[in-house]
Amino acid sequence: MRETPITKTIIADPRSHYGNGPASTRHFITQRVTGLVNVVFLGLLLFLVVRLAGQDRTDLVAVIGNMVVGLPLMVLIAIVAVHMRNGMRDTLEDYFAGRMYRLVMGLNTFFCLVVALAGIGAVAKIVFWG
Amino acid sequence: MSVRARPTSPHLQIYRWTITMAMSILHRATGIANYAGMALFAIWLVAAAMGQEALTAVNFIYGSWLGQVALFGFTWSLVHHMLGGLRHWVWDFAVMMEPGQREALAWATLAGSVILTLLIWTVFVWAA
Repeated sequence: MRETPITKTIIADPRSHYGNGPASTRHFITQRVTGLVNVVFLGLLLFLVVRLAGQDRTDLVAVIGNMVVGLPLMVLIAIVAVHMRNGMRDTLEDYFAGRMYRLVMGLNTFFCLVVALAGIGAVAKIVFWG
Repeated sequence: MSVRARPTSPHLQIYRWTITMAMSILHRATGIANYAGMALFAIWLVAAAMGQEALTAVNFIYGSWLGQVALFGFTWSLVHHMLGGLRHWVWDFAVMMEPGQREALAWATLAGSVILTLLIWTVFVWAA
């Protein structure tokens, strides 16, 4: 897991290109913006769970199948998945490096993709085909 | 993009626990919990898309006492992570960072998350 340790010389030397400035800024902004949007998602999630927990499918389709609910839900699930992948990357970067990092980061991307595609696919099915 | 190994410190054993440190660790922990918890939401949606039989099965699992405990914890985790994220938005404007202020904000995150979670469950589950 441990590769070349970081020394003060590496960080101080501009030629070592320590870190990636533009990517880090983009990562930071993405995380803050998607996080703020997720407040809306949390509200919608709360509404859906409170309204539909334990209810029959007919009731669920009537609520989520409504375009006004279903379409924003699909967009919000996608934004949540981006936030999930970005946030997990923060954690992985702290403890993994090199090949091990690429491996766990691949698993991270895979999990977020599966959650997003399953969620969005299910909502799309309910919205467009009942 | 290649990522270099980062130095890790035995921070948990060495430093005196402060509330800001505890809330920082909790923010990461709740983030990881929410990461896993989103799968529960996706499973519910997929079951609903599949049909009444699958939905009944998932409703049964989520309605069991173990499911309810997990959902309660997930609620708190989501609320805590949201308040922690909003706290970072406040700090991004370089305010509330002075000694005393940041501790107050950290305590507010913790108290707010517990109060909001209990409020949600009281109003929508226990009293409903």
